[in-house]
Amino acid sequence: MGMMNQPTALEHVLITTKVEKIINWSRATSVWPMTFGLACCAIEMMAAGAARFDFDRFGSGIFRASPRQSDLMIVAGTVTYKMAPIIKQLYDQMPEPKWVIALGSCATAGGPFDSYHTIQGVDKVVPVDIYIPGCPPRPESLIYGFLKLQDKIMTSSMADRYKEIFEAVG
Amino acid sequence: MFKNEEMEINMGPQHPSTHGVLRLKLKLDGEVVTQCRPVIGYLHRGVEKICENKTFFQGQVWTDRMDYTSAVANNLGWAEAVEKLFGVTVPRRAQYIRTMLTEFNRLASHLIWLATHALDIGAMTVFLYTFREREAILDLFEAFCGARLTTTAFRIGGLREDLPPGFEKMVRTFLARFPDCIEEYESLLTENRIWKKRTIGIGKLSAEDAIAMGVTGPVLRAAGVAYDIRKAFPYAAYAEMDFEIPTRTEADTYARYQVRLAEMRQSTRIIQQCLDGLPEGPVMAKLPKVLRSEVNEVYHPTECPKGELGYYLVGEKGSTNPYRFHVRAPGFINLQALPMMVKGSLVADVIATIGTLDVVLGEIDR
Amino acid sequence: MANDESPYVYDLAGAPNHQVVMPKTVPLPSLKTYLEEQAAAVAADEAKWAKAQADFEAAKAKAEADGKDAPKPPVRAVPRPDTNDMKFPAPAPATDPDLLYLQSVLGAKVEEAFQQAGELTCQVDKSAILEILTLCRDDRALGYEMLADETATHYPAAKDFAFAVVYHLTSIRRCKRLRLRILVPEGFEPESAVAVYPTANWLEREIWDMLGIRFQNHPDMTRILCPEDWEGHPLRKEYPTLGLGQRDIDFREDRSGVLMRIAMEKAGNLGINIKPPKAE
Repeated sequence: MGMMNQPTALEHVLITTKVEKIINWSRATSVWPMTFGLACCAIEMMAAGAARFDFDRFGSGIFRASPRQSDLMIVAGTVTYKMAPIIKQLYDQMPEPKWVIALGSCATAGGPFDSYHTIQGVDKVVPVDIYIPGCPPRPESLIYGFLKLQDKIMTSSMADRYKEIFEAVG
Repeated sequence: MFKNEEMEINMGPQHPSTHGVLRLKLKLDGEVVTQCRPVIGYLHRGVEKICENKTFFQGQVWTDRMDYTSAVANNLGWAEAVEKLFGVTVPRRAQYIRTMLTEFNRLASHLIWLATHALDIGAMTVFLYTFREREAILDLFEAFCGARLTTTAFRIGGLREDLPPGFEKMVRTFLARFPDCIEEYESLLTENRIWKKRTIGIGKLSAEDAIAMGVTGPVLRAAGVAYDIRKAFPYAAYAEMDFEIPTRTEADTYARYQVRLAEMRQSTRIIQQCLDGLPEGPVMAKLPKVLRSEVNEVYHPTECPKGELGYYLVGEKGSTNPYRFHVRAPGFINLQALPMMVKGSLVADVIATIGTLDVVLGEIDR
Repeated sequence: MANDESPYVYDLAGAPNHQVVMPKTVPLPSLKTYLEEQAAAVAADEAKWAKAQADFEAAKAKAEADGKDAPKPPVRAVPRPDTNDMKFPAPAPATDPDLLYLQSVLGAKVEEAFQQAGELTCQVDKSAILEILTLCRDDRALGYEMLADETATHYPAAKDFAFAVVYHLTSIRRCKRLRLRILVPEGFEPESAVAVYPTANWLEREIWDMLGIRFQNHPDMTRILCPEDWEGHPLRKEYPTLGLGQRDIDFREDRSGVLMRIAMEKAGNLGINIKPPKAE
């Protein structure tokens, strides 16, 4: 115990931290998104994954096709009435912990399409963690939103998460 | 002992080929497709109904989002359709600039096509290379109108403002570099054994079938029919441009690949001519502040990178909004030919065929 | 919701897409109605001028009788020259050889043929549409091999008909386009063009989905864009842009997935053992 401010000989070779921090760090830096491009924002998502705005440098360049293998669902594009049950089913198929980014104005709030077949925002279908407005948002906006998601994951607590789930299930 | 049954599977609205939310109900006998039924409507946003509530000036915004890979071509179709409805003469300089930007958009759209088509078949490098060129084109669009993807680049009667300073230099730098890039893509794919095995003889659509199904664009040109609306019914400044219509006769996926690459080369030719022959003058026609239509209807076809994009507008007397707005989307008509093209082929060939048809669900579902 | 101190006022109730505005006119382009309207406008202008002159004469006589000065004579208003780069393309009588050929071959089946904005329009009898499409495709002099587009418009203010179904034909060999139009009352089922142009398959499904016009002898008359259990035909003028409330369903409250499964089965999403929808 003694002098806590001076690193002891052991701390030069050993890092001690809480288990939660390690788990959060590993989750945040290797978020694997699912390819869920619906409309125009999908093209900007692809551009974000391409060479100029490299998305892979954040550890999340592998876009998994199957929801069973992914952590993050980037809903890029307009959500329609016909598509909504499918989005819900895909969200349910993703294993915990999972996050959702609503990319673009359409996924946030319906976008410019205020009509009979468009759901005004994907948050009427699945719970959303990060909203990124824009029509379409630049790839830099997507990267900024993604970094904010990483911050959110780093500061989240496992106990809170499981409490949420237990309460939701009832 | 073994039961031989047909299996019906769903190639669902979410699948890795990034063509959007297309659903195919496939009936399979083993791995061979016996029947294919596309189900669409997962991106139906009601654009035609929305535009009935918007003025003629405002309606252009929704046209970007239909075929989102070639937004400028959609904008051109809308602007020209409204100008035809009202009988507006557009200044020549504006026509040249519009043509140049539309040809850039043709390049951008074909680059996305090549990226996703090759990615579906398995060639992932091409995706990164083509997006590098596409970023250069998007920089040009951003310099002109401020947006990369959904541009709303044109106005009724011309353009909002003239080209920004430095634009010509950007275009010339790009044109100097681009033909080598096409050579690079060709070197990766054209003589590649795997590419040839995956694309030669796949997805055949003969000329008679194509015309009967109303298919237009590179799919028709790869079947031998030299039909291009830029030559058949010239619009914008295409009547003054000198370019060729590439055609092939094999009518399979490899032929369509070659036709689209050749089209990219012709597009660079057109852009060069537009830039060299750019006339001086105003870029905007004189129009009243409020456009009220008379009773008229127009159908204006343009050559979108995917095929014939037609805008049908009906004007009501004294109204600022269109009475009816309908889009003849090339993807909608081309996708109808898919069941015919994949009958008897393998599941992997279905993926290749969807890629070669170059469908964008935004314009199919509107 | 905005309160009175907020600088932003959201008047959503007055937004255009929240209203259902039934049109009062029938904007069907037609040479006959155009000529009638022009003649009526000219006659009205003449009548107004005659009335102004008559009023002036009466006022002059009255002023002379009273001994006052005569009023100013009326000046004929000269229309101001239009400086805009815009000239409305007026419909003109048919001079194109294709239209004349159609009129000569079909005779009474052609109700009207005219040209406007560089396009040929031919309005034909709705019960003969299949025969006319076959003629356009197979006749050597016409040779319209491709159906570019088929669409329809709703005219609720019209008396004899409710919809106009429009066919856009293209001749690749001759680089020509033609528009055929039929006027269809509510409930009438035109012949499907699939027998002549297989393109019409999905186009007519879309017309059924959006406007409610059924086509006879169509291989698959089901909804294509909206889900199969959708009620209403969205592009009709009485259908509100925001819909009839179907989109306001909240899918999140569905804990066990029952609602979702019902919605998916109704929308035909499960993809297994689909029963064809019942004919209406």
